[in-house]
Amino acid sequence: MTAFRITICAALSILLLTSAGVAVQQTSSLKAGKAELQSAGALAFGPDGVLFVGDSMGGKIFALDTEDRTASQATAVEVPGMSEKIAAMLGTTADQIQVNDVAVNPVSKKTYLSVSRGLGPTAAAVIVRIDSTSKIEALSLDNIKHASVVLPNPVNASTGGRGGNARLQAITDLAFVDNRVFVAGLSNEEFSSTLRAIPFPFSQADKGTNVEIWHGSHNRFETNSPIRTFLPYKVNNEQTILASYTCTPLVKIPVASLQAGAKVMGTTIAEFGAGNTPMDMISYTKGGQNFILMTNDRRGVMKFSADGLEKFNPITNQVPDKAGVPYETIAALTNVVQLDKFDAQRAVVVTRTGTNLDLKTVALP
Amino acid sequence: MARGVLAACLLLVVQSPAIRFDGGRNLFVLENWAGAAQIRPERGGDVLTVSVDAPNVPALLGQYRVENKSLVFAPQFPLQPGLSYRATAKLPGATPITTVVRIPKPDLKPTTVVERVYPSTNVLPENQLKFYIHFSSPMARGFAYQHISLVDESGARVDVPFLELGEELWDRDGKRFTLFFDPGRIKRGLLSQQELGIALHEGKRYSLVIDKSWKDAEGQAMASEFRKTFRVGTAERKAVDLKSWVVRAPQSGTRNVLTVTFPKPMDHAILQRELDVVSVGGAVVSGGVAIGPEEKTWIFTPDAAWKKGAYSIRVGTATADLAGNMIDRPFEIDVFERVDQNLNRSTRSLEFRVD
Repeated sequence: MTAFRITICAALSILLLTSAGVAVQQTSSLKAGKAELQSAGALAFGPDGVLFVGDSMGGKIFALDTEDRTASQATAVEVPGMSEKIAAMLGTTADQIQVNDVAVNPVSKKTYLSVSRGLGPTAAAVIVRIDSTSKIEALSLDNIKHASVVLPNPVNASTGGRGGNARLQAITDLAFVDNRVFVAGLSNEEFSSTLRAIPFPFSQADKGTNVEIWHGSHNRFETNSPIRTFLPYKVNNEQTILASYTCTPLVKIPVASLQAGAKVMGTTIAEFGAGNTPMDMISYTKGGQNFILMTNDRRGVMKFSADGLEKFNPITNQVPDKAGVPYETIAALTNVVQLDKFDAQRAVVVTRTGTNLDLKTVALP
Repeated sequence: MARGVLAACLLLVVQSPAIRFDGGRNLFVLENWAGAAQIRPERGGDVLTVSVDAPNVPALLGQYRVENKSLVFAPQFPLQPGLSYRATAKLPGATPITTVVRIPKPDLKPTTVVERVYPSTNVLPENQLKFYIHFSSPMARGFAYQHISLVDESGARVDVPFLELGEELWDRDGKRFTLFFDPGRIKRGLLSQQELGIALHEGKRYSLVIDKSWKDAEGQAMASEFRKTFRVGTAERKAVDLKSWVVRAPQSGTRNVLTVTFPKPMDHAILQRELDVVSVGGAVVSGGVAIGPEEKTWIFTPDAAWKKGAYSIRVGTATADLAGNMIDRPFEIDVFERVDQNLNRSTRSLEFRVD
């Protein structure tokens, strides 16, 4: 789903990509060979067909050259029984695979999925792509141009690794903004927020900066809780991260404030209430208005206006009902477990029925 | 004459193209087909395909090669016990050959159990942040929250007490699962807490229940249900204070343990990794760590005998109590401006002497 986050800064990216030299520079840092992914989770497209993959088990971010750079005018994709088909290709059944994330290549309109084949800790990482004719193919990871960067694990740094083997950082979201890969993660031990910004092309010497982001609530209390999903978005021409937290507030953070080692106070601009873990966000324009669509595990798909987010005052006072940015729940979109933007009018969604997953495009509401 | 015809027929049967499954090497082999000598491996899929034995499914991923004049297909992934696979050879000018292979499934008995849950204490603060659930064998991912419940004294389930994440929080071995309470119901002043209230109430008893239908990585259910019953005490809202820790230093010339005792139970996983013993020269003293009952003691046994001198215990500031309060930093702070003052150091030191 994260792919179209980059369209937030689309104007800038397109300008950059019109220069063949820049495109070459982005992929020339990638070397052919086996991409040793231990797991495949969060996905995001960067420039020139580069797919970023979060490998939580390996503690790495991979950049894969999909070589998928042919523009397409495709307007739809539909794969009923998708999980059964992908599973069969991997020699197993739908209940033995997991689809972890979805990203649409904004150029080719092919849908990429990160998949685990198997359910245990040794499950194989697979990247699958589906074109508008519903053809499913696996991206060969045995010989692919790629690069990776190791995410620093504070355990190794501080204590020489004792007990550190158990600590993992689940990479919950990725986005490519202004030549940096933003990575949100959630540790399986401490409860805190770190947003890492890693320059791309990757360099071992520069693993990016780590930023602590705190946010408030209706009351005066602030926490440094983990970001679940985020969306780069320009608010009043200022590049911003809209971050959704495990404890449900939507928080606005200026990218300019994300400096190395900084402790940043985000501004809470909305709250979406109980039992509502945010999963994916995309932005789009319809009828001259800007909107954001957010999927949640229990409350379905929510839509809210992205115009004038700068006008919403920070939530600082106790209010009896849902506060800040108003939203509506899209009744027509149910059982959505993955979401990404397909084009200006459509989104691609993965819906779950029992153990089966279907893939289809839907009109943006 | 009849004997000659029989021999000829046998020869014909022996020499007819056939698909054989080599279970030991996990290969499908098209034998006795003269065309194998000419075919390029990348065109192997034009002749031989293998798929799960189900309608309208794509062929298995894998690689072709020619070996001993036979066309060989090696699936990319191991075949799954209990499933059937259909191999089809479409040879020019001949009727397609099909072979169905069933991979036997061993009759495994459930053996996996929950070995322990941390915190080990049976009195938890009202704002308890998480459980660590340790299993005896690696578990299957993707189904955790279906198998975990929190029930109150009457046996009624507490509604959505836990944070349910698509990225389930496992360790590398798939044997430890981290279960966070929904922070929206812990953190004060949030809409979640107003709507649903806090999950745990002081003075009440609850049970964490892990049902035995949760499957392990081998697809087997667990051998037994697990239950941890606990009472809820007052909320913990204060930062961890190093001054309240008691260090008991060992004697020099011995390999006796160094112990640090805490006034309240600490987070098991973080405690295991965040404390180190450092000599006066700054070198980390090597040794083993054990965590005492109710996670109220850190016990260090050095690999070599203690030498006289000054030491310190280097404590990472991520060290936390059961409610996620860390060193000098409570789970919730009420004035953001204080944050910067406190967070610039990632470790603290506790000095002690060995005499």
